[in-house]
Amino acid sequence: MLRAALRQALILLAIALLPAMVSGAIQLKWHHEEPLAPDEVRAATAAEWGTDVIFVDARPKTRFDAGHIDGAILLNNEDWETLSPKFLDVWDPDKKTVVYCDGGSCDASREVAERLKREFQIKNVYVLKGGWPAWQSR
Amino acid sequence: MAIPIKSIASWVLRLGVGGLFVYAGIVKIWDFKAGGSATQAFAMAIQNYQFTTKLTPILLVAVYLPWLELVTGIALLVRKWLSGALLLLGSMTVVFLIAICSAWARGLDISCGCFGKENNATNFPLHIAGDLVLLVAIGLIAWLEKDRGQAAGGEAGPLAGS
Repeated sequence: MLRAALRQALILLAIALLPAMVSGAIQLKWHHEEPLAPDEVRAATAAEWGTDVIFVDARPKTRFDAGHIDGAILLNNEDWETLSPKFLDVWDPDKKTVVYCDGGSCDASREVAERLKREFQIKNVYVLKGGWPAWQSR
Repeated sequence: MAIPIKSIASWVLRLGVGGLFVYAGIVKIWDFKAGGSATQAFAMAIQNYQFTTKLTPILLVAVYLPWLELVTGIALLVRKWLSGALLLLGSMTVVFLIAICSAWARGLDISCGCFGKENNATNFPLHIAGDLVLLVAIGLIAWLEKDRGQAAGGEAGPLAGS
């Protein structure tokens, strides 16, 4: 019984492999990238900006402590009152501010970016496309 | 004439579970809203789980997994290679459960990527409950089909092996 199930599973795995290979070759445009929103920036571009960037980590402190972009400042919505003065201490109007979170659908980076623009009138604020995972695998 | 309750129950469950996997596979292959490939968006959804930072394994899973869901879903619907399909569907659901639990435990604010490109963050308890229901349904199909096979003479059922 288990042997038959394993054999059938192998057949199905092989059947799925064929269209996956064709599909992968045809439809996946390896160099095609999703378009950016006006205030978004890719990890590669942000990295090229080098020291002209202040990175803001919009994730909870536990996630920040587990790993973050070198030199990033923790600033999230939950602890805004206590964390924002620290951000303002290092903020430089000549530098770009890039906010990130866990990527994908996380809204934290966008919310913090909007709040920075609204409350501190900071203009050159960007959201990192793909967030922390995109930065790690850039 | 006795109503074949077990046959009907099995058919309904196969339709539900098989249909769900077929749908999940299709929307991960093709983004009908954008009118283009959904592979890249699914790769990003996998990347957000942060199991690896290497792009190649992420892309391989993003390309292969939707087709595996589609093929096993169809196999379940047409009752072909049923025990193999149930084994794969059960295994995939367990892997999805582990991935979701792991993301929840690490406090990730992500969408599950279960049905292609999603804009809402995952409701983890709801998704875990959904996956558990799916596992129970898969187990039920295996039990019902095994029973049908025995009722038909022990070897005629698709779970009897071929």
